[in-house]
Amino acid sequence: MKVNILRRETRDKEPYWESFIYNGPEDNSVAGLLDYINYNDDIRNDKGEKTTRIDWECSCIQGICGACAMIVNDKPVLACEAFLRDIEGEEITLRPLSKFPVIHDLVVERPMHEILTDNNVFIGEYSPAENRDFQQDYNAAKCLKCGLCIEVCPKYTDGRMFYGAPFANDCYLVAARNEQKAGEIAEIYEKHFKSECAYDLACEKICPMGIKFTASMKKLNSIKRGDGDRSF
Amino acid sequence: MDALIIGSGIAGMACAVRLARHGIHVTLISPSLSEHSESVMAAGGINAMLTENDEGDSVESHVQDTLKGGSYIGGEEAVRGLCGHGEEIIRFLESIGTVFSVDGEGRPSRRAFGGQSHKRTYYCGASTGKQIVSALVMETRRFEAAGMITRRLKYSFHSGLIKDGICYGALLFNLERSRLEAFFSDFTVIATGGQNALFGKTTGSTMCDGYAAGRLFMQGADLKNLEFIQYHPTTLETPQKKMLISEAVRGEGGRLFYLENGERVYFMEDKYGEKGNLMTRDIVSREIYGCGKDVFLDISFLDGQTIDERLPEVRDLCMKYRGIDIKKEPIPVTPSVHFFMGGLAVHLNHETSILNLFAVGECASMYHGANRLGGNSLLSAMYSGFVAADEISGRYSHRKYPDFSTYMENERKILNKDYDSRSSFPVFYIRDLLSVTMNDDLGIVRDEKNLKKGRKKTDYYLSVADKLRYDRSVSQYTNYSLKAMLTLAGATLKAAEERRESRGAHYRSDYNETKDEYAYATLVSYINGDYSVRLDRENIYES
Ligand SMILES: Cc1cc2nc3c(=O)[nH]c(=O)nc-3n(C[C@H](O)[C@H](O)[C@H](O)COP(=O)(O)OP(=O)(O)OC[C@H]3O[C@@H](n4cnc5c(N)ncnc54)[C@H](O)[C@@H]3O)c2cc1C
Ligand code: SF4
Ligand code: FES
Repeated sequence: MKVNILRRETRDKEPYWESFIYNGPEDNSVAGLLDYINYNDDIRNDKGEKTTRIDWECSCIQGICGACAMIVNDKPVLACEAFLRDIEGEEITLRPLSKFPVIHDLVVERPMHEILTDNNVFIGEYSPAENRDFQQDYNAAKCLKCGLCIEVCPKYTDGRMFYGAPFANDCYLVAARNEQKAGEIAEIYEKHFKSECAYDLACEKICPMGIKFTASMKKLNSIKRGDGDRSF
Repeated sequence: MDALIIGSGIAGMACAVRLARHGIHVTLISPSLSEHSESVMAAGGINAMLTENDEGDSVESHVQDTLKGGSYIGGEEAVRGLCGHGEEIIRFLESIGTVFSVDGEGRPSRRAFGGQSHKRTYYCGASTGKQIVSALVMETRRFEAAGMITRRLKYSFHSGLIKDGICYGALLFNLERSRLEAFFSDFTVIATGGQNALFGKTTGSTMCDGYAAGRLFMQGADLKNLEFIQYHPTTLETPQKKMLISEAVRGEGGRLFYLENGERVYFMEDKYGEKGNLMTRDIVSREIYGCGKDVFLDISFLDGQTIDERLPEVRDLCMKYRGIDIKKEPIPVTPSVHFFMGGLAVHLNHETSILNLFAVGECASMYHGANRLGGNSLLSAMYSGFVAADEISGRYSHRKYPDFSTYMENERKILNKDYDSRSSFPVFYIRDLLSVTMNDDLGIVRDEKNLKKGRKKTDYYLSVADKLRYDRSVSQYTNYSLKAMLTLAGATLKAAEERRESRGAHYRSDYNETKDEYAYATLVSYINGDYSVRLDRENIYES
């Protein structure tokens, strides 16, 4: 199988394509494929030239940490959960997520944590609303900050104004746990999410954790409208 | 006053937020986000004795279960501290928004876990670790916004800035700029998790490699109880890792068997009776290993609906990673390294043998003795972070740092020199050989011959480590971490060799009985390039 990878040496260098030939197990995941190519005394590209090892991030290798998010054949996926058996055709193309700065090869810098910190999206003093929706809280707190939802979002560009689904998700978590802060959070959410959101919901479809943003958004919208539905 | 914390899993973050609450500024270091730490993988739960636990349960009972599970070398005072703070920790976790599963009255639910006399494992669905991490990340963010915690990503530990037995911070490797940078600090806390990478494929995270413990050992820190390594009996092997198959499968009636002449042999039931499949982790692991056959775990006889309701994660994992339908076919299982009871030796306040250097979480050896009870490690990750923070908050700042410029210059030169060496073996190659050696010679069942053989091999790898071809195309961290990992591996083999008895997770076929004379923790020091092993008969690390 031919593997085409969009590589980059450092932030300030231009990206370039390099191809490899993969002859490893057919039941491997894309993460396994990367390990297979990297684990050789010398790593050579499809032209037989010596080259550098491919940099990518991983930790859990079972779809629960989000480190390995990348684009495989134009589809944003977790590489450890994407299997070669599901790939159509004889070629596979790997690219880093496109909405974030690339640090090296397939490794990107995700800005979600800074955005959330800069906007004070934290609980502070815990005073949850009565009738909490534990299931929705549980699901929302499963967010990996992997960025797959941002990759498919038609509105997210550089993270300066519109912050994307993980932002709305954490806004919900704060509003659910600190009634006093709910109003303030709903304002930030309105400014940096709701006012721009195209309700395309590609985010919800791609999320590997199956997080239901619509349910969180509904709650936050109701706070903003002040229609009294404050149950979480 | 300030503190430097290396590692941002549950232990590192627990320590950071507690220090920030004490008004102490923290720099929190990790190569990547907390979401990528091993802590997110913990599924089952966290043990605690709460006022609402069953009648008859008590802190004392949790203490006794923990001491017994650890074959009585876990340190009684330490264990009392741990179990005595269970309620405080669960309440704290609730108060920062951890979404515990709740009962009909909105109170956190409990489940039963192995080795415990009462039901005291609190849980968050099937992702307890992840839910705790999410809550701690948000609490950390609160103090980041207030300027009390500064997170620095893309940094890995290189070495301690240590002089005359005192730590003044750490030399860190900037992964993006590929350079060493000194971070001075009044107090340094190591929270880098277990040493999975010594064994290659395990149930845990690829981020945990034991490097920090190995390097600090070479710089004078004592290590403790390295020989105690917990195997999980039932994991599913994939090309890249061994995935934990929850004990819940056996809890629901799952049966272990192997095939002989086409017939199923239910070896656990044959040997231990009806409840054979539910024996403790170490016994099941040993039996699977001992039978020398491919072993399977069958749950297909349960009706599909029960499987969907009670074992959905196991069902999905087997289907996704191996295409196995557990409703129709048995699961091939193999034991795997899962948890490290050993690590940096720490006193009750979590300070190592080096002044102002602390260790918390799985990289520190405390509480679990010769074997850990499921659910106690999350509790100890939280508790140890708090203990270290409280100790630090009562100390004074020295604010006078010795001159480390020569040391730093030397270390920079060593890194660069390593690149000039010419050998046909890249570092990757030796790392792989190391994991084969550790699995073969320090496996579930050990003996003198193999342990010696293993050490001979690690000695050899160490002797060539300086001559290896350092690979410019991987992170320099991957290159420079090798030597300390090999040293840690050597120390582990030596500790296992010196413990001439069987206790907890350490099983010797040539000494298969527990002996009173070994009822102490093992300590290892690094003296003039050699390992010095002794038993802690004076209990110096229990004070
Ligand atoms: C599959 C699985 C299931 C588990 N289930 C349970 C359970 O149900 N209950 C329970 O109590 N325990 C469980 N455990 C054990 C528990 O998860 C761990 O013991 C605990 O999370 C360890 O936390 P920690 O903070 O010490 O380390 P980790 O979470 O491993 O964090 C280590 C941190 O250090 C960083 N780091 C590593 N090396 C370096 C370096 N060289 N330089 C800088 N930073 C570094 C990492 O990036 C990470 O941020 C389970 C473990 C596994 C693998
Ligand atoms: S919401 Fe889902 S897709 Fe988006 S970052 Fe979180 S886990 Fe990833
Ligand atoms: S490595 Fe954790 S999601 Fe892929």
